[in-house]
Amino acid sequence: MKINLRVSLKIPDAEAATVKNTLRRRMGYGAVLAELGKERLWSIEVDDSVADPADLAGRLARELVNENKESYKATVDSIDFEEGYVPVKVGLRIEDGEAISAQNRLRNRLGFDMVRSVERSMVWKLYLRTEEPERAAEEIAKGLLINPHKDYYEIMR
Amino acid sequence: MKIAVIQFPGTNCEHETLVAARAADLSGEIFRWNRPAEELCAFDGYIIPGGFSYQDRLRAGAIASKEPVMDALREEAERGKPIIGICNGFQILVESGLLPGLGGVDVALASNVMVSKGEIARRGFYCAWTTLRSETPARRCSGSFLLDKGDLVSMPLAHAEGNLVTADEDLMERLNEEDQVVFRYCDEGGRVETEFPVNVNGSLENIAGICNPEGNVLGLMPHPERSSFAWQLPPTDSAKSAGDMTAPGPGRRIFESMRRYIEVMR
Repeated sequence: MKINLRVSLKIPDAEAATVKNTLRRRMGYGAVLAELGKERLWSIEVDDSVADPADLAGRLARELVNENKESYKATVDSIDFEEGYVPVKVGLRIEDGEAISAQNRLRNRLGFDMVRSVERSMVWKLYLRTEEPERAAEEIAKGLLINPHKDYYEIMR
Repeated sequence: MKIAVIQFPGTNCEHETLVAARAADLSGEIFRWNRPAEELCAFDGYIIPGGFSYQDRLRAGAIASKEPVMDALREEAERGKPIIGICNGFQILVESGLLPGLGGVDVALASNVMVSKGEIARRGFYCAWTTLRSETPARRCSGSFLLDKGDLVSMPLAHAEGNLVTADEDLMERLNEEDQVVFRYCDEGGRVETEFPVNVNGSLENIAGICNPEGNVLGLMPHPERSSFAWQLPPTDSAKSAGDMTAPGPGRRIFESMRRYIEVMR
Protein backbone atom coordinates (compact mmCIF):
# COMPACT_ATOMS: atom_id res chain seq x y z
CA MET A 1 0.00 0.00 0.00
CA LYS A 2 1.19 3.49 -0.75
CA ILE A 3 0.74 6.48 1.55
CA ASN A 4 0.88 9.81 -0.26
CA LEU A 5 1.64 13.01 1.58
CA ARG A 6 0.90 16.15 -0.42
CA VAL A 7 2.81 18.93 1.32
CA SER A 8 2.32 22.61 0.56
CA LEU A 9 3.61 25.79 2.15
CA LYS A 10 1.41 27.88 4.43
CA ILE A 11 3.75 30.79 3.92
CA PRO A 12 4.21 32.49 0.53
CA ASP A 13 5.96 30.17 -1.91
CA ALA A 14 8.79 32.22 -3.40
CA GLU A 15 9.90 29.41 -5.69
CA ALA A 16 6.44 29.04 -7.21
CA ALA A 17 6.25 32.82 -7.67
CA THR A 18 9.61 32.86 -9.46
CA VAL A 19 8.61 30.00 -11.75
CA LYS A 20 5.33 31.74 -12.53
CA ASN A 21 7.08 35.02 -13.30
CA THR A 22 9.61 33.29 -15.53
CA LEU A 23 6.89 31.51 -17.49
CA ARG A 24 4.76 34.61 -17.84
CA ARG A 25 7.38 37.29 -18.37
CA ARG A 26 10.22 35.44 -20.03
CA MET A 27 8.69 32.49 -21.84
CA GLY A 28 5.55 33.88 -23.40
CA TYR A 29 2.90 32.27 -21.19
CA GLY A 30 1.44 35.56 -19.97
CA ALA A 31 -1.93 34.93 -21.59
CA VAL A 32 -1.98 31.20 -20.93
CA LEU A 33 -0.78 30.73 -17.37
CA ALA A 34 -3.28 32.20 -14.93
CA GLU A 35 -1.78 30.85 -11.71
CA LEU A 36 0.77 28.35 -10.53
CA GLY A 37 1.09 26.39 -7.32
CA LYS A 38 3.42 23.75 -6.00
CA GLU A 39 3.28 20.76 -3.67
CA ARG A 40 5.95 18.35 -2.51
CA LEU A 41 4.75 14.77 -2.82
CA TRP A 42 6.07 11.99 -0.61
CA SER A 43 4.94 8.56 -1.85
CA ILE A 44 5.73 6.01 0.81
CA GLU A 45 5.30 2.32 0.10
CA VAL A 46 4.47 0.44 3.32
CA ASP A 47 3.59 -3.14 4.24
CA ASP A 48 0.07 -4.15 3.25
CA SER A 49 -0.43 -5.46 6.78
CA VAL A 50 -0.62 -1.95 8.25
CA ALA A 51 -3.94 -1.86 10.13
CA ASP A 52 -4.53 1.87 10.33
CA PRO A 53 -2.97 3.67 7.37
CA ALA A 54 -4.49 7.03 8.32
CA ASP A 55 -2.79 6.90 11.71
CA LEU A 56 0.49 5.85 10.09
CA ALA A 57 0.19 8.72 7.60
CA GLY A 58 -0.13 11.15 10.50
CA ARG A 59 2.92 9.72 12.22
CA LEU A 60 4.96 9.83 9.01
CA ALA A 61 3.86 13.41 8.43
CA ARG A 62 5.19 14.40 11.84
CA GLU A 63 8.64 13.38 10.60
CA LEU A 64 8.46 14.70 7.03
CA VAL A 65 6.35 17.84 7.38
CA ASN A 66 7.19 21.00 9.29
CA GLU A 67 3.73 22.08 10.37
CA ASN A 68 4.99 25.51 11.43
CA LYS A 69 5.20 26.42 7.77
CA GLU A 70 3.70 23.50 5.87
CA SER A 71 0.37 21.72 5.68
CA TYR A 72 -0.35 18.32 4.21
CA LYS A 73 -3.06 16.07 2.84
CA ALA A 74 -2.69 12.32 3.20
CA THR A 75 -4.19 9.73 0.88
CA VAL A 76 -3.78 6.00 0.58
CA ASP A 77 -2.91 4.50 -2.80
CA SER A 78 -4.67 6.94 -5.12
CA ILE A 79 -4.26 10.71 -5.39
CA ASP A 80 -7.23 12.78 -6.46
CA PHE A 81 -6.20 16.23 -7.56
CA GLU A 82 -8.73 19.02 -7.52
CA GLU A 83 -10.32 20.43 -10.68
CA GLY A 84 -9.12 23.64 -12.26
CA TYR A 85 -5.44 22.94 -12.82
CA VAL A 86 -3.17 20.49 -14.57
CA PRO A 87 -0.97 18.67 -12.06
CA VAL A 88 2.52 18.00 -13.40
CA LYS A 89 4.62 15.67 -11.32
CA VAL A 90 8.39 16.15 -11.60
CA GLY A 91 10.82 13.68 -10.11
CA LEU A 92 14.38 12.53 -10.52
CA ARG A 93 15.15 9.88 -13.09
CA ILE A 94 18.54 9.45 -11.46
CA GLU A 95 18.97 8.18 -7.91
CA ASP A 96 17.31 10.50 -5.39
CA GLY A 97 19.65 10.83 -2.44
CA GLU A 98 17.17 12.77 -0.34
CA ALA A 99 14.52 10.08 -0.75
CA ILE A 100 17.03 7.39 0.18
CA SER A 101 18.09 9.39 3.24
CA ALA A 102 14.44 9.82 4.26
CA GLN A 103 13.81 6.11 3.86
CA ASN A 104 16.86 5.20 5.93
CA ARG A 105 15.93 7.73 8.61
CA LEU A 106 12.38 6.44 8.86
CA ARG A 107 13.34 2.77 8.91
CA ASN A 108 16.62 2.73 10.77
CA ARG A 109 16.37 5.60 13.23
CA LEU A 110 12.71 6.31 13.78
CA GLY A 111 11.35 2.77 13.96
CA PHE A 112 9.09 2.78 10.91
CA ASP A 113 9.90 -0.83 10.05
CA MET A 114 6.85 -1.06 7.79
CA VAL A 115 8.30 1.44 5.28
CA ARG A 116 9.49 -0.31 2.12
CA SER A 117 10.42 2.60 -0.09
CA VAL A 118 10.18 6.36 -0.26
CA GLU A 119 9.73 8.41 -3.41
CA ARG A 120 9.94 12.19 -3.47
CA SER A 121 8.64 14.43 -6.22
CA MET A 122 7.20 17.87 -6.86
CA VAL A 123 3.75 18.53 -8.23
CA TRP A 124 3.37 21.78 -10.15
CA LYS A 125 -0.24 22.92 -10.35
CA LEU A 126 -0.73 24.83 -13.60
CA TYR A 127 -3.90 26.89 -13.94
CA LEU A 128 -4.09 27.33 -17.69
CA ARG A 129 -6.32 29.40 -19.95
CA THR A 130 -6.16 27.47 -23.18
CA GLU A 131 -8.16 25.01 -25.24
CA GLU A 132 -5.44 22.42 -24.82
CA PRO A 133 -4.23 22.69 -21.23
CA GLU A 134 -2.42 19.35 -21.16
CA ARG A 135 -0.48 20.21 -24.28
CA ALA A 136 0.53 23.55 -22.75
CA ALA A 137 1.47 21.77 -19.52
CA GLU A 138 3.73 19.41 -21.46
CA GLU A 139 5.40 22.37 -23.17
CA ILE A 140 5.97 24.06 -19.84
CA ALA A 141 7.34 20.88 -18.30
CA LYS A 142 9.79 20.34 -21.13
CA GLY A 143 10.66 24.02 -21.46
CA LEU A 144 11.33 24.84 -17.82
CA LEU A 145 10.24 22.40 -15.15
CA ILE A 146 12.63 19.60 -15.99
CA ASN A 147 16.13 19.02 -17.20
CA PRO A 148 15.56 15.81 -19.18
CA HIS A 149 18.99 14.48 -18.29
CA LYS A 150 18.06 14.11 -14.64
CA ASP A 151 14.30 14.70 -14.30
CA TYR A 152 11.11 13.15 -15.61
CA TYR A 153 7.62 14.59 -15.67
CA GLU A 154 4.17 13.09 -15.64
CA ILE A 155 0.83 14.78 -16.26
CA MET A 156 -1.27 13.43 -13.38
CA ARG A 157 -4.66 13.34 -15.14
CA MET B 1 40.19 44.48 -23.39
CA LYS B 2 37.07 44.95 -21.42
CA ILE B 3 35.02 42.15 -19.97
CA ALA B 4 31.61 42.04 -18.33
CA VAL B 5 31.10 40.04 -15.15
CA ILE B 6 27.41 39.17 -15.23
CA GLN B 7 25.54 39.63 -11.97
CA PHE B 8 22.17 37.93 -11.45
CA PRO B 9 20.12 38.23 -8.27
CA GLY B 10 21.91 35.79 -5.95
CA THR B 11 25.30 35.91 -7.64
CA ASN B 12 27.92 36.23 -4.90
CA CYS B 13 31.36 35.94 -6.51
CA GLU B 14 31.25 38.89 -8.89
CA HIS B 15 33.63 41.17 -7.00
CA GLU B 16 36.43 38.67 -6.44
CA THR B 17 36.02 37.47 -10.03
CA LEU B 18 36.52 41.03 -11.26
CA VAL B 19 39.56 41.45 -8.99
CA ALA B 20 41.04 38.24 -10.40
CA ALA B 21 40.33 39.32 -13.99
CA ARG B 22 41.92 42.73 -13.41
CA ALA B 23 44.99 41.03 -11.96
CA ALA B 24 45.29 39.29 -15.32
CA ASP B 25 45.28 42.68 -17.08
CA LEU B 26 41.66 42.52 -18.16
CA SER B 27 39.62 45.60 -17.49
CA GLY B 28 35.98 45.20 -16.82
CA GLU B 29 32.90 45.90 -14.84
CA ILE B 30 30.03 44.16 -13.16
CA PHE B 31 27.06 43.96 -15.51
CA ARG B 32 23.69 43.65 -13.81
CA TRP B 33 21.33 41.22 -15.46
CA ASN B 34 18.62 43.83 -15.97
CA ARG B 35 20.73 46.36 -17.84
CA PRO B 36 19.76 46.73 -21.50
CA ALA B 37 21.06 43.53 -23.01
CA GLU B 38 22.26 45.30 -26.15
CA GLU B 39 24.95 47.02 -24.06
CA LEU B 40 26.70 43.69 -23.83
CA CYS B 41 28.09 43.98 -27.33
CA ALA B 42 30.51 46.68 -26.10
CA PHE B 43 32.54 44.05 -24.22
CA ASP B 44 35.24 41.72 -25.49
CA GLY B 45 34.40 38.82 -23.21
CA TYR B 46 32.12 37.69 -20.42
CA ILE B 47 32.29 35.85 -17.14
CA ILE B 48 29.27 34.43 -15.35
CA PRO B 49 30.52 34.03 -11.79
CA GLY B 50 29.45 31.73 -9.01
CA GLY B 51 26.72 32.08 -6.44
CA PHE B 52 23.09 31.13 -6.21
CA SER B 53 21.25 32.93 -8.99
CA TYR B 54 17.60 33.20 -8.04
CA GLN B 55 18.37 31.23 -4.89
CA ASP B 56 18.72 28.08 -7.03
CA ARG B 57 14.92 28.05 -7.29
CA LEU B 58 13.57 25.20 -9.42
CA ARG B 59 17.14 23.98 -9.98
CA ALA B 60 20.52 25.66 -10.14
CA GLY B 61 20.81 27.97 -13.15
CA ALA B 62 17.36 27.24 -14.58
CA ILE B 63 15.72 30.60 -13.95
CA ALA B 64 18.72 32.74 -14.91
CA SER B 65 19.04 30.80 -18.17
CA LYS B 66 15.72 32.30 -19.32
CA GLU B 67 16.74 35.93 -18.83
CA PRO B 68 17.11 38.18 -21.91
CA VAL B 69 20.74 38.76 -21.04
CA MET B 70 21.38 35.10 -21.89
CA ASP B 71 19.96 35.58 -25.38
CA ALA B 72 22.35 38.48 -25.83
CA LEU B 73 25.23 36.36 -24.55
CA ARG B 74 24.30 33.63 -27.02
CA GLU B 75 24.62 36.16 -29.84
CA GLU B 76 28.00 37.30 -28.57
CA ALA B 77 29.12 33.68 -28.30
CA GLU B 78 28.13 33.15 -31.94
CA ARG B 79 30.42 36.06 -32.80
CA GLY B 80 33.25 34.11 -31.20
CA LYS B 81 33.64 36.15 -28.04
CA PRO B 82 34.78 34.21 -24.97
CA ILE B 83 32.43 33.34 -22.14
CA ILE B 84 33.54 31.61 -18.95
CA GLY B 85 30.96 30.27 -16.51
CA ILE B 86 32.23 29.47 -13.04
CA CYS B 87 30.22 27.17 -10.73
CA ASN B 88 26.70 28.65 -10.87
CA GLY B 89 27.80 30.30 -14.10
CA PHE B 90 28.53 26.83 -15.51
CA GLN B 91 25.10 25.67 -14.35
CA ILE B 92 23.48 28.63 -16.13
CA LEU B 93 25.40 27.91 -19.33
CA VAL B 94 24.27 24.27 -19.21
CA GLU B 95 20.63 25.18 -18.61
CA SER B 96 20.73 27.73 -21.44
CA GLY B 97 22.13 25.17 -23.87
CA LEU B 98 25.34 27.16 -24.47
CA LEU B 99 27.25 24.20 -23.05
CA PRO B 100 28.11 21.77 -24.39
CA GLY B 101 26.46 23.72 -27.18
CA LEU B 102 25.11 20.92 -29.33
CA GLY B 103 21.70 22.41 -29.96
CA GLY B 104 19.69 21.87 -26.80
CA VAL B 105 20.02 21.12 -23.13
CA ASP B 106 22.45 18.24 -23.50
CA VAL B 107 23.58 17.55 -19.93
CA ALA B 108 22.55 18.25 -16.35
CA LEU B 109 24.57 19.20 -13.31
CA ALA B 110 22.91 17.06 -10.68
CA SER B 111 23.38 16.77 -6.92
CA ASN B 112 26.81 15.64 -5.80
CA VAL B 113 27.26 11.96 -5.04
CA MET B 114 30.57 10.99 -3.46
CA VAL B 115 31.40 7.33 -4.09
CA SER B 116 34.19 5.62 -2.16
CA LYS B 117 35.03 1.92 -2.35
CA GLY B 118 31.90 1.35 -4.38
CA GLU B 119 29.64 2.82 -1.72
CA ILE B 120 28.02 6.24 -1.51
CA ALA B 121 30.04 7.94 1.22
CA ARG B 122 28.21 11.24 1.27
CA ARG B 123 26.01 13.50 -0.83
CA GLY B 124 25.32 17.13 -1.37
CA PHE B 125 27.36 20.26 -0.71
CA TYR B 126 31.11 19.88 -0.69
CA CYS B 127 33.88 22.43 -0.32
CA ALA B 128 37.53 21.53 -0.88
CA TRP B 129 40.71 22.27 -2.77
CA THR B 130 40.92 20.24 -5.91
CA THR B 131 43.35 19.66 -8.74
CA LEU B 132 42.27 19.91 -12.36
CA ARG B 133 44.06 18.32 -15.28
CA SER B 134 43.90 20.17 -18.56
CA GLU B 135 42.60 17.72 -21.14
CA THR B 136 42.92 19.75 -24.31
CA PRO B 137 45.85 21.15 -26.29
CA ALA B 138 46.75 24.79 -25.79
CA ARG B 139 44.57 27.23 -27.75
CA ARG B 140 41.60 24.82 -27.93
CA CYS B 141 39.50 26.77 -25.47
CA SER B 142 39.27 30.39 -24.38
CA GLY B 143 39.66 29.64 -20.68
CA SER B 144 42.56 27.20 -21.06
CA PHE B 145 44.24 28.93 -24.00
CA LEU B 146 47.62 29.03 -22.26
CA LEU B 147 47.42 25.57 -20.72
CA ASP B 148 48.93 22.53 -22.38
CA LYS B 149 47.34 19.14 -22.27
CA GLY B 150 48.29 17.53 -18.98
CA ASP B 151 48.93 20.76 -17.10
CA LEU B 152 47.64 20.76 -13.54
CA VAL B 153 45.81 23.66 -11.93
CA SER B 154 44.63 23.71 -8.33
CA MET B 155 41.66 25.70 -7.13
CA PRO B 156 38.88 25.33 -4.60
CA LEU B 157 35.34 24.28 -5.28
CA ALA B 158 32.18 24.75 -3.27
CA HIS B 159 28.93 23.43 -4.67
CA ALA B 160 26.08 20.98 -4.19
CA GLU B 161 25.18 20.40 -7.83
CA GLY B 162 28.22 19.73 -10.00
CA ASN B 163 27.69 16.10 -10.90
CA LEU B 164 27.59 16.12 -14.69
CA VAL B 165 25.12 13.54 -15.99
CA THR B 166 23.49 12.91 -19.33
CA ALA B 167 20.79 10.65 -20.69
CA ASP B 168 22.50 10.70 -24.09
CA GLU B 169 24.59 7.54 -24.31
CA ASP B 170 26.69 8.86 -27.18
CA LEU B 171 27.45 12.26 -25.69
CA MET B 172 30.63 11.41 -23.82
CA GLU B 173 32.20 9.85 -26.89
CA ARG B 174 31.40 12.99 -28.85
CA LEU B 175 32.73 15.33 -26.16
CA ASN B 176 35.96 13.35 -25.93
CA GLU B 177 36.42 13.09 -29.69
CA GLU B 178 35.80 16.81 -30.20
CA ASP B 179 38.11 17.85 -27.32
CA GLN B 180 35.25 19.46 -25.44
CA VAL B 181 36.27 18.00 -22.09
CA VAL B 182 38.61 20.74 -20.90
CA PHE B 183 39.25 19.80 -17.25
CA ARG B 184 39.01 16.62 -15.22
CA TYR B 185 39.34 16.22 -11.47
CA CYS B 186 42.59 14.44 -10.63
CA ASP B 187 44.93 13.90 -7.71
CA GLU B 188 47.98 16.06 -7.09
CA GLY B 189 50.03 13.81 -9.36
CA GLY B 190 47.59 14.19 -12.24
CA ARG B 191 46.01 10.75 -11.92
CA VAL B 192 42.32 10.62 -12.68
CA GLU B 193 40.69 8.28 -10.16
CA THR B 194 36.98 7.81 -10.51
CA GLU B 195 36.13 7.74 -6.80
CA PHE B 196 35.92 10.31 -4.04
CA PRO B 197 37.90 12.26 -2.94
CA VAL B 198 39.52 12.70 -6.38
CA ASN B 199 36.18 12.71 -8.15
CA VAL B 200 34.62 15.17 -5.75
CA ASN B 201 31.02 15.03 -6.95
CA GLY B 202 30.48 11.85 -8.95
CA SER B 203 30.72 13.68 -12.26
CA LEU B 204 30.80 11.51 -15.36
CA GLU B 205 34.40 10.71 -16.29
CA ASN B 206 35.61 13.16 -13.61
CA ILE B 207 34.51 16.11 -15.72
CA ALA B 208 35.16 19.46 -14.07
CA GLY B 209 34.87 21.68 -17.13
CA ILE B 210 33.67 21.53 -20.72
CA CYS B 211 33.64 23.89 -23.69
CA ASN B 212 31.41 24.34 -26.70
CA PRO B 213 32.47 22.95 -30.10
CA GLU B 214 34.00 26.30 -31.09
CA GLY B 215 35.98 26.51 -27.86
CA ASN B 216 35.05 30.07 -26.93
CA VAL B 217 32.56 29.12 -24.20
CA LEU B 218 33.93 27.33 -21.13
CA GLY B 219 32.16 26.21 -17.97
CA LEU B 220 33.87 24.81 -14.91
CA MET B 221 32.68 24.02 -11.41
CA PRO B 222 35.78 25.03 -9.36
CA HIS B 223 36.58 28.68 -8.68
CA PRO B 224 39.73 30.04 -10.39
CA GLU B 225 39.14 33.46 -8.81
CA ARG B 226 39.74 31.85 -5.42
CA SER B 227 43.25 30.76 -6.34
CA SER B 228 44.40 33.76 -8.32
CA PHE B 229 46.73 35.14 -5.63
CA ALA B 230 49.26 33.43 -3.42
CA TRP B 231 47.47 34.72 -0.33
CA GLN B 232 44.46 32.60 -1.26
CA LEU B 233 46.39 29.32 -1.33
CA PRO B 234 46.46 26.73 1.47
CA PRO B 235 49.19 27.21 4.08
CA THR B 236 50.98 24.12 2.83
CA ASP B 237 51.34 25.44 -0.70
CA SER B 238 54.94 26.28 -1.59
CA ALA B 239 53.87 29.40 -3.52
CA LYS B 240 52.37 30.78 -0.35
CA SER B 241 55.29 29.90 1.87
CA ALA B 242 57.58 31.75 -0.58
CA GLY B 243 56.38 34.90 1.09
CA ASP B 244 55.02 37.14 -1.66
CA MET B 245 51.32 37.06 -0.92
CA THR B 246 50.45 39.05 -4.04
CA ALA B 247 52.17 36.61 -6.38
CA PRO B 248 49.89 34.90 -8.91
CA GLY B 249 48.11 31.73 -7.91
CA PRO B 250 47.33 28.91 -10.32
CA GLY B 251 43.78 30.08 -11.01
CA ARG B 252 45.12 33.23 -12.63
CA ARG B 253 45.97 31.13 -15.70
CA ILE B 254 42.28 30.89 -16.54
CA PHE B 255 41.92 34.67 -16.70
CA GLU B 256 45.27 35.10 -18.48
CA SER B 257 44.05 32.54 -21.00
CA MET B 258 40.93 34.56 -21.60
CA ARG B 259 42.99 37.70 -22.11
CA ARG B 260 45.31 35.97 -24.56
CA TYR B 261 42.34 34.45 -26.41
CA ILE B 262 40.87 37.91 -26.87
CA GLU B 263 44.22 39.28 -28.10
CA VAL B 264 44.60 36.51 -30.65
CA MET B 265 41.01 36.46 -31.85
CA ARG B 266 40.65 40.20 -32.31
